[in-house]
Amino acid sequence: MIGGPAVQADERGPTGSAPLCVVEASHVSRVFPMPAGPVTAVADVSLRIAPGDHLAIRGPSGCGKSTLLHMLGCVEAPTAGTLLFQGKDVSILSDRQRSLLRLRQIGFVFQRFFLLPMLTAWENVELPQSEAAVSKAERRKRTGELLDYVGLGARADHRPSELSGGEMQRVAIARALANRPGLLLADEPTGELDRATGEQIAALLDRVNADGTALVIVTHDPALAERSTRVLTMRDGHIESEAGHA
Amino acid sequence: MNAMGFAWRSLVRQPARASLGVLGVAAVGALLFDMLLLSQGLVISMRGLLERTGFDLRVTATDALPGQGPLIPDAITRADAIAHLPSVRSAIALRFANAVVQKEGRRGQYTSFQGVAGTNTHPWTMLRGRDIANGPEIVINENTSRRTQLQPGDRVVVRASCSDNKQALPPMTFTVSGVAEFPFDTPNGATVATSIDMLAAACGGNELDAADVIMVASRENASTDAAAVDVAQLLPELNVLSNAEAVSRFERGGFTYFRQISTVLTTVTLSFAVLLITVLLTVSVNQRLGEIAALRALGFSRWRVVADVLCESVLIVGGGGLLSLPLGALLAAGLDRILKRIPGIPAEVHFFVFEPSALRVHLLLLVATAIIAALYPIRIVARLPIAATLRDEVIG
Repeated sequence: MIGGPAVQADERGPTGSAPLCVVEASHVSRVFPMPAGPVTAVADVSLRIAPGDHLAIRGPSGCGKSTLLHMLGCVEAPTAGTLLFQGKDVSILSDRQRSLLRLRQIGFVFQRFFLLPMLTAWENVELPQSEAAVSKAERRKRTGELLDYVGLGARADHRPSELSGGEMQRVAIARALANRPGLLLADEPTGELDRATGEQIAALLDRVNADGTALVIVTHDPALAERSTRVLTMRDGHIESEAGHA
Repeated sequence: MNAMGFAWRSLVRQPARASLGVLGVAAVGALLFDMLLLSQGLVISMRGLLERTGFDLRVTATDALPGQGPLIPDAITRADAIAHLPSVRSAIALRFANAVVQKEGRRGQYTSFQGVAGTNTHPWTMLRGRDIANGPEIVINENTSRRTQLQPGDRVVVRASCSDNKQALPPMTFTVSGVAEFPFDTPNGATVATSIDMLAAACGGNELDAADVIMVASRENASTDAAAVDVAQLLPELNVLSNAEAVSRFERGGFTYFRQISTVLTTVTLSFAVLLITVLLTVSVNQRLGEIAALRALGFSRWRVVADVLCESVLIVGGGGLLSLPLGALLAAGLDRILKRIPGIPAEVHFFVFEPSALRVHLLLLVATAIIAALYPIRIVARLPIAATLRDEVIG
């Protein structure tokens, strides 16, 4: 299994089984103060994501999808409500503790990849492990595995400028999985890609999820959303509907 | 990859920007280095020159500089009395005048004219020939030798011009015994020297035993201060000035201007360096806001991204700082040549003098520059709203 959460003993459920919930949002809201008056991006949303979940969030532009994703990823604090990550209240964590939580437990995939252009594919994937103080030998092993996993073992020494959009996104996915997160968040991961390449990325994300990593995707692409087992549709900051797929 | 490695790769990524920064800091750093050398250069150089003469006390009639005040009467007798003090190794009386030196059939050469009496130690270094003995002999410096074509053994007519002496004095004929180097000679200065008796004779035979200054060398086992106290007790009516006090007077006098100029220019150059690095780093950071926000989202701590920016600043300033040293040394040599054209500056005195403390201050100022220059871009990075930046980058 290439992805998969590195669950600690104290993060398991009361019976010693895997935790029931990776992240749980209870009545969370996010209001942005604006000169013309406050804007509510997310209003009173409750959501539970269990290990291995495959969730898509859909909705029109400006409905609050990305803001909700950022709250789930602990990069944005809710202005109301509670967010628990593996049972812990995120609001009481310091900035450093939240950074560590993201580093070790959460992976991010961005629409614009945000690979570091001066680093090779290998170095981009190795970087979060280095930040997490993973040993050099372990980093080498893990980075090689991840690049093989995303099918770019032969392009390890290439810089982002030498890779196609699809290849860059695959490196970004490998980077997001570097520290074996329990939750992978992807914001429009196929937004910058053509249909065929987007399909390849969607298949790769499916595989990551099948290997045990909970996956939350924000997307406008109905085809990508259809691959999820749960699809949330948002409108004006609210969850309008939730549908499940077999 | 640690913050320093990361910063290095960030710089290499944009070689033009990095080169601009490094070269800018090198230029500013060179100026800064030169200003530090200038701030103490004259003082250090003058102190070294005074110490190289081998005399550490100067005794004068008043607190005026030697040659600028009244003569010391009975100077030879007094120099002899000083030389017999237990804390004193030697003492010589020196009298200064001006003269026109003329080799037969040639045009006269204006020179400064020194007369010396006391122990065998003379305040000059022989280059050719021999030192003066009894009788009408003079030693001349290289400039005089070159301009008048005089060599040891030649005879020469000297017309002295002495202080307060308005009448034309009869010329005296001297024999050139040797060519010597005088420590306080200016680059183009012409100097001749003889015994104080001969100088007095050339000055019309007046004030036979008078001198402008008595130069005193203390013994190795006695301190300068102890010798100064002994001399002051022996001759309380005279003024005793140690090398350190002389340097201190120079510092309070004309040398102050150079320190003030260097302080002002140091402040200006440092301000330029800070502005340059701040602008470069700010532009760089603003170009990479999305990447930085992504790194933060991936779990990089605030401190880590701050360290990246700080290390980038340190690398630019460090690289430029290293380059600034040879550049500054070259610039200092050129500026020193220009400034030494100021009339009256001894050839052995330099405006830009290296000493380890200047290097230490230079390094400290550059480190401070790197930190201060990085403050604003660090603030941008430290306060970067992760989610808003990611949103803006996608919209942008």
